Amino acid sequence: MARDNETLLELYRLMVLTRRLDGTIAEVDGHWHGLEGEEGVVAGLYHGLREGDAVAPHYRGSLTAAYAKGADLRRLLAGAAGKATGYNEGRYRSDVCGPPEFKMIGLYSGALGPPLGYATGAALAFKLDGSENVALAVFGDGTSSRGDCHEAMNLAATLVLPVVFVCQNNQVAISTTDRVGGAVADRAKGYGMPGLAVDGNDVLAVHDTVQEAIARARKGGGPTLIEALTYRVAGHFVSDAVEERPADEVAAWRERDPIAGFRGYLVAQGVSDEAMLDGIDAAAAEEVKTAMELASSDPEPGPEALGLDAVFA
Amino acid sequence: MPRQTFQEACVSAIAEEMRLDDDVFIMGEDIGAFGGPLHSTKGLWEEFGASGRVIDTPISEGTFVGAGVGAAMQGKRPIVDLMFLEFLGLVVHQFGLDGGAMHYYSAGQARVPLVVRAKYGVGPFHGHAYDFHSWLLNIPGVKVVAPSNPVDAKGLMKAAIRDDNPVFFLEHMALYHAGREDVGEGDASVVPLGQADIKRPGGDVTIVASALMVKRALTAADSLAAEGIEAEVVDLRTIWPMDEETVLASVQKTGRLVVACEAVKTGSSANEVVALVAEKAFADLKAPIVRVAPPRIPVPFHRDLEKLYLPDADDIAEAARGLAGS
Repeated sequence: MARDNETLLELYRLMVLTRRLDGTIAEVDGHWHGLEGEEGVVAGLYHGLREGDAVAPHYRGSLTAAYAKGADLRRLLAGAAGKATGYNEGRYRSDVCGPPEFKMIGLYSGALGPPLGYATGAALAFKLDGSENVALAVFGDGTSSRGDCHEAMNLAATLVLPVVFVCQNNQVAISTTDRVGGAVADRAKGYGMPGLAVDGNDVLAVHDTVQEAIARARKGGGPTLIEALTYRVAGHFVSDAVEERPADEVAAWRERDPIAGFRGYLVAQGVSDEAMLDGIDAAAAEEVKTAMELASSDPEPGPEALGLDAVFA
Repeated sequence: MPRQTFQEACVSAIAEEMRLDDDVFIMGEDIGAFGGPLHSTKGLWEEFGASGRVIDTPISEGTFVGAGVGAAMQGKRPIVDLMFLEFLGLVVHQFGLDGGAMHYYSAGQARVPLVVRAKYGVGPFHGHAYDFHSWLLNIPGVKVVAPSNPVDAKGLMKAAIRDDNPVFFLEHMALYHAGREDVGEGDASVVPLGQADIKRPGGDVTIVASALMVKRALTAADSLAAEGIEAEVVDLRTIWPMDEETVLASVQKTGRLVVACEAVKTGSSANEVVALVAEKAFADLKAPIVRVAPPRIPVPFHRDLEKLYLPDADDIAEAARGLAGS
């Protein structure tokens, strides 16, 4: 697939920014659900969407998705801390529930699975409106066990809806491994839709595969299922110190770090040199630092934010 | 003015709104050429099928209600036919926990103009009788509607479709094909949500009810009148948001309250009426409040058992009679 340097560098920047965000929030939030090691999937998925496309992201990567859709980083970070300036005005957490004004479909409760149905419904709306917008429905290997996952794919397949399902398979559900029978991508055959497995630590492979599926969906070609295999180097959340997985396995995946790998690729291909990439790293770090400092000094919500009359539209 | 059954009134409300607004569409199981169970969508396929706005879904209640939520978030106005209320457990998460919370949690940015309709109730069809609507009263952000006659069914359905929030619309099967009324058309036929209706005025005792229990309360009121007791029958119509003003005004007038409900007595929506009156009109009461409701057992199958289970007009009249003497 033809790609311009701008796209390649933006994919790199999004990965770096995602990791920097991850580390910065982890410093202040012991319940932050980190995603170190999964940045290749996240950047590959969320770069290059149109304004009208809807996204139901995996919660690991939700902030990057909202940022890539145009949301303000300071407000997103303020929202993760429940500040008054966050998109949710302190009523909910923006780290898992992105702003709908950017077509983000959040986790409005802790249960995984139902957002796949909301994304499918967004795709139904797009089809009824005759628009070329698509919906991205992203879930983990853990959520792939939910009935919601099956129901959403079957509904999307039978109604030929413009939705791309992506399994961000980090090979662990909180602490549980080996609880997915067979490859998730293989399930696509049962729904009569294309099913593709891709190396989730290869940001380009993810991006190209998803963009192809999106292009097909925009033209009325229906849904696609993509399984992006990656590895959660981080724990389930920051304070979750118990690591059940073998140390050599974690170490081996650290060796396959998606950012280091892509950095090497960009230099080898002559897209960039080390100095330029260092510059991108520094700019991303500065952007995150500034946004975090501003968000940290933003006000806490006052009693008026409780919104006793705000539950109904 | 057409003479319509409850079922026909619901369908005509949907058809009128679909003609007015291209964003309105309907989906569910067997609602297309089949016409919907008990004719719940009869005629819609013929008129709107070609436009793609009458959608037969797979058997996936949670996800097609979820798809309704998702489409509503994008500006559509979906009506989801859930078939039966006993499937409520499959969709509470999508409809209630998430659908009801989105507007609040997004600080007003998300709107979920969704109607989920479901048939229920002890009636001629001998099955799918469970009345679980009370569950929904504990979920912020959702509205619950339970009409008792064709005119209200038409008007409330139109209002529900035009509402910008998730609305659960209950269609009682014992009322569904049980006689016709003159039903209005157009904007004039809309019945606003959140307004109770005094179906029969009276000064001695207030009977608050909804759906089938309104019909039975009216029968009870007839027999009470023959004994010289004038019962005022208040039809909630919208169970939530509840029309507190109408309920309180009636109790302040009569000083006596019977609440009739088809859901089991414990944790029921009837108790919300009781609590309201106990809190805000206690001094007006001349007698203790009485609840008339089924016992806390699953709906039994045999007709004789079913009859014992569900309060009838005699049960309601007896409760009112007991209060009227005090």
